[in-house]
Amino acid sequence: MEPSMSQAEVVAKEATSTRAKRASGDSLPRSGLTGATLKLEHVEAFYGKFRAVNGVSLDIASHSVTALIGPSGCGKSTLLRTINRMHETTPGASVKGKITIDGVDLYDRAVDPVRVRRSIGMVFQKPNPFPTMSIAGNVASGLRLAGSSSNADIAAVVEDSLRKAALWDEVKDKLHEPGTSLSGGQQQRLCIARAIAVKPEVILMDEPCSALDPIATLKIEELIRQLREEYTIVIVTHNMQQASRVSDTTAFFTMGEDRGGYLVESGPTRQIFTQPKQRLTEDYVAGRFG
Amino acid sequence: MSENQVRAAAELFEKTPRDLRRQRVNRWMRRLVAAVTGLAVLPLIGVTVLIVAKGVGSLSLSFLLNGPLGSPPGILNAIQGSLLMTLVATLMSAPIGIAGGVYLNEYASSRVSAIGEYFIDVMLGVPSILAGLFAYLAVVPILGFSGWAATIALSVLMVPVVMRTTQEVMRLVPAGLREASLALGVPMWKTTIFIVCRTAFSGLLTGVVLAISRGLGETAPLLLTSLGSNDQSLNLGAPMNAMTVVIYNYAGSSDPKLVAQAWTTALVLFAIALVLNVGVRFKTVNSRVA
Repeated sequence: MEPSMSQAEVVAKEATSTRAKRASGDSLPRSGLTGATLKLEHVEAFYGKFRAVNGVSLDIASHSVTALIGPSGCGKSTLLRTINRMHETTPGASVKGKITIDGVDLYDRAVDPVRVRRSIGMVFQKPNPFPTMSIAGNVASGLRLAGSSSNADIAAVVEDSLRKAALWDEVKDKLHEPGTSLSGGQQQRLCIARAIAVKPEVILMDEPCSALDPIATLKIEELIRQLREEYTIVIVTHNMQQASRVSDTTAFFTMGEDRGGYLVESGPTRQIFTQPKQRLTEDYVAGRFG
Repeated sequence: MSENQVRAAAELFEKTPRDLRRQRVNRWMRRLVAAVTGLAVLPLIGVTVLIVAKGVGSLSLSFLLNGPLGSPPGILNAIQGSLLMTLVATLMSAPIGIAGGVYLNEYASSRVSAIGEYFIDVMLGVPSILAGLFAYLAVVPILGFSGWAATIALSVLMVPVVMRTTQEVMRLVPAGLREASLALGVPMWKTTIFIVCRTAFSGLLTGVVLAISRGLGETAPLLLTSLGSNDQSLNLGAPMNAMTVVIYNYAGSSDPKLVAQAWTTALVLFAIALVLNVGVRFKTVNSRVA
């Protein structure tokens, strides 16, 4: 038992370290067509000494949409921000536990958080196009500022990303107008195009529709269903109908007595909404709580 | 609507003595505030009218193109000296001030930032004669009375102006833009330069122009450092003339011709400062994208 254990450990360690090296170098797999598998193990997130997320373990399959639902303050947005290492950009914030993407530990010392964010894109609650850039400039911004691709294929990537974000037909004749001249819903799709342009494997969405009207929301939801073909998507939402419409898996969070959030249960969306295992979940999805 | 109801409505909104009194007080208060505003603007108009009226008499092309020893005498060396010393002081203080402001706002811990802000406040409050005294004691013994000593004295006054404005305009850049950029995998330094500074660009420019205006108008530090000179020279290593020094030296003269020259020099200085400020305002208003 003992020798085989250590052997397994060695193998695992080697695998991790080579992957970590790949992650820190330029050779991290970024086909954009794979969609990665995420694994969260006992993740805890802190603001200073306050523990906002308590020991969350969650598997996120590739090519799936996972919805994080729960009442305000349950730590779901914070958890989302630990997945692309944005959480640590808040002064005083820290993370414990382990998050792996296709087996690579995101919090390995050899991993540069900047590289993590190129593989794991993010769309925010409030559409935030860069006000100094045109529509095309916004989509190209990640490539120009973070990427290594040549100018030649930027135009192609811009068109491709805008098509994937279902925005191309609406903006193809005004690519050089400011990104902020678009409507709120269009701006949010522009932000999605901007995230897609750097060819991430995972896209995190933090309540992407909460600032949008129902029609714009519907368009984003359709888009999420399409993007699932190529990317792994994790979405935080307050809207339970939205979770049931777009997601394959749902994870329900709530706030503990210490005000820290924890995962109550996760499972196939249909099951969470129809036959939840926990009483808390049942009350929440039935609207009796929170 | 019956007649009774109409009457009831009229009674409901009938002006009471209290209403009448409030309206009367309101009228008088508005007149008072307008008058006080006029009082505040009056000196500004007075100075402008006085400078133009007294200065325009001696204004001629030869006044702008001749040195003090020419015939007729002019202030070419003072114009050149003022512009050159202010330009060099700007080249020294703008990068330092912007870098300092960016550091305090984007990188420093909140404690360091608070200490930094405190020092900026102190520096902004330093009387300009003290900056001159500093250069007189610390720089003049090494470089002699010279344009260089003056540029250093001016920089001491200009750096905090640029720093304060930089900090203020960078604080106005929405945090969402920084997050959007970081989440694309753009490194922090590129986010700071190409997103934050780019968005705040017109504000940064305003800060630099404010500093230039201050540098152009300083007299006391120059009296202790560049002294003033009758030479026609662009050598910063020697004493140098400046418009403010000319005004100071000539205004108290018993020779009415020199007093007239002081007024005309004031008019030229006023015109340069005005063109600079209005020019930048015009440019930044036109270039604002958002």
